[in-house]
Amino acid sequence: MSPSRFSLKRQLLLWLLLPQVVLWLAGAVFSYRLAGRYANEAVDATLLQATRSLARQVKPMGNGLLIDFPRAAQDVLEADPSDKLLYTVSSPPGQFILGNRNLPSPPAMPASPPLGQAQFYDGEIESDGARAVSPVRVAALYLQFGENPRAQQTMLVQVARSSANRELLARRLLIDTMLPLSVLIVLMSMIVWAGVGAGLAPIARLRRLVEGRKPNDLRPIELDAAPQELRSLAQAINDLLEAVSHNVEAQRRFISDAAHQLRTPLAGLKSQSELALAEAPPGPLTMRLARVHEGASRSAHLVNQLLALARTEPESLQRQTPVRFDLGRLAREVTAELVPRALQQNVDLGYDGPDSDPECTSPSQLDDRHGAGPETDDADGAPGRPVAVVGIPLLLREALVNLIDNALRYAGRGARVTVQVHEAGDHAELVVTDNGPGVPEALREQVFERFFRATHEGNGCGLGLAIVKEIVERHGGRIGLSTARPRGLRVSIQLPIAA
Amino acid sequence: MNLLLAEDDAILADALCEQMRASGFTVEHAPNGAVAQYLLAKQQFDVVVLDLGLPMVSGIDVLRQLRQTDASLPVLILTALDSLEDRVAGLNAGADDYLTKPFDFPELEARLRALLRRSRALKASTELGQLSMQRETRSAQVRGEMLELSPREFDLLDLLLTHQGRVITKEQINQAWSGDRAAPSASDGAATNAVEVYIHRLRRKLEGAQVAIRTVRGLGYLLELERA
Repeated sequence: MSPSRFSLKRQLLLWLLLPQVVLWLAGAVFSYRLAGRYANEAVDATLLQATRSLARQVKPMGNGLLIDFPRAAQDVLEADPSDKLLYTVSSPPGQFILGNRNLPSPPAMPASPPLGQAQFYDGEIESDGARAVSPVRVAALYLQFGENPRAQQTMLVQVARSSANRELLARRLLIDTMLPLSVLIVLMSMIVWAGVGAGLAPIARLRRLVEGRKPNDLRPIELDAAPQELRSLAQAINDLLEAVSHNVEAQRRFISDAAHQLRTPLAGLKSQSELALAEAPPGPLTMRLARVHEGASRSAHLVNQLLALARTEPESLQRQTPVRFDLGRLAREVTAELVPRALQQNVDLGYDGPDSDPECTSPSQLDDRHGAGPETDDADGAPGRPVAVVGIPLLLREALVNLIDNALRYAGRGARVTVQVHEAGDHAELVVTDNGPGVPEALREQVFERFFRATHEGNGCGLGLAIVKEIVERHGGRIGLSTARPRGLRVSIQLPIAA
Repeated sequence: MNLLLAEDDAILADALCEQMRASGFTVEHAPNGAVAQYLLAKQQFDVVVLDLGLPMVSGIDVLRQLRQTDASLPVLILTALDSLEDRVAGLNAGADDYLTKPFDFPELEARLRALLRRSRALKASTELGQLSMQRETRSAQVRGEMLELSPREFDLLDLLLTHQGRVITKEQINQAWSGDRAAPSASDGAATNAVEVYIHRLRRKLEGAQVAIRTVRGLGYLLELERA
């Protein structure tokens, strides 16, 4: 059995049931033999008796034999028609004198036959001229007769009886012993089967408990009503899980502490470089300072993103209770907060809610950046129909900030970025569309990997979409990238809608 | 404008003091919680920038004690802690805003100015470009010339100017108007149209003020300096 197909249940059943069946078969064979022997002994005893009484009727008279075989005696011998006794007397042995000629002769005619001792053997006889043969049990007895001790003659008396009865007897004995035994075997097998199944059930339960786990789920296994052996195993696994979770927690704490500790000095570095950059006279030093400032800003961004990623870890999620809230409202708030930054970068950031008038979103009107008269005013801003989801608003805010931040970073100056929230069937959809260069199709899976960057432009750190993906998946949602029409990137987040 | 900066990191504090002074603030620096408490007791400040992880007396304790004597002094928490619990604790203790390190100075400055605008210090009068506005008299001027503004137009301008550079939603505008008896209810479809009408009128009246009311798609409006 290969290791992958090794089954404890199969092993147990094999070891418990196979020997039972083998022993049962051996028992059956043995019982049959024993029954046959007892039946033979009984038959042989009657045959011997019959042989001896027949032999007594044969009396030597001179050189001949006088057989005094009264009718009554014959009747006794042939009393049972279904189980007739057949007899033959021959002298010298083999030379028929009296009885039935068809009787099979003894297996081997010995040179000096054992006198006075009966021999038993099995043979076959043609019954009543028919072609059919029937098995018989034969007793053979050699006797000596003759008044003259020097000229003794030998005679052979054989009595045969049909074996049919004997076999019937043996078979009945066999059935009578094996039938209850078989029922017992079947019952035993069923009990063993059920017992093994019940005994192994906790293993299956344990397997399910471990098997269905996410790699970051380090909660102890709860295995109630399990046998001692499994309990120890579960305990051992739990101890390991605890140690691992302890380690993971310690590491995470270290990273989080380190990141926090980095924040203040980085803020100092950033402020100082910002200041130096503002004060320095134009020259080569300013360029260096600009580089320093860029490096400081990048590090600051990286630390912030790392901490954001740490916040999406399940341990920190456990401390936050999900609430029911309007995704549209959150999206409007976040978008509005980021509008000033977008304007600084000359990006047209806007929102497109569920209740926005379709006329207000037609491209011809949207191109009118600086707004216009009331006729083309699309500053809706009124609360649309709520799109309720259940989750942690702070995290989803983080996700949306990252999406808009990405669009602002990579779509380029003069780009248009639109945030949309609407219901799509049984889920809420949040879409951020830009008309920037987009992401090549080949990279659309990779961009969700940590520290992967699809472009070397800008000073991102490659964590944004990884953070968004983590957050969305923690909320039981999905994220997908596609191409916006006519050009650009469309990032769609789908979250289960709250009832 | 007097500003108290309570921050224990010397390098950050030094740079911040410089930047704030350059932005026109009068800055006092407290390197620990005790000094911050002392300065708050001795001097008048218009706004406070407070680190949470201060030595001697923690920022939260400084804030709690401050709120017992002065409920209105704007306080911005500037901290390395950014968990939801920290944020909630800070805001519960009476902070007006919360900014995590590291940050961009323009962001800090914008938030400080927003806090100041909301507080008494700047409430009396606001200026942007060639536009100035006095709340006492509910009047506004462009290049020194008085503007003819209806009460609703003034409320709208006040809202935009107070939140300059930030998005004002129609909802907010309707809320500001709901103080007026004449204002239609916010849920009324006519209200949204009314907002558009008033924005349109205000844009005309602000011509030449070097300020622009920008329409932000799907969100609302934003007042900014006109770009050259």
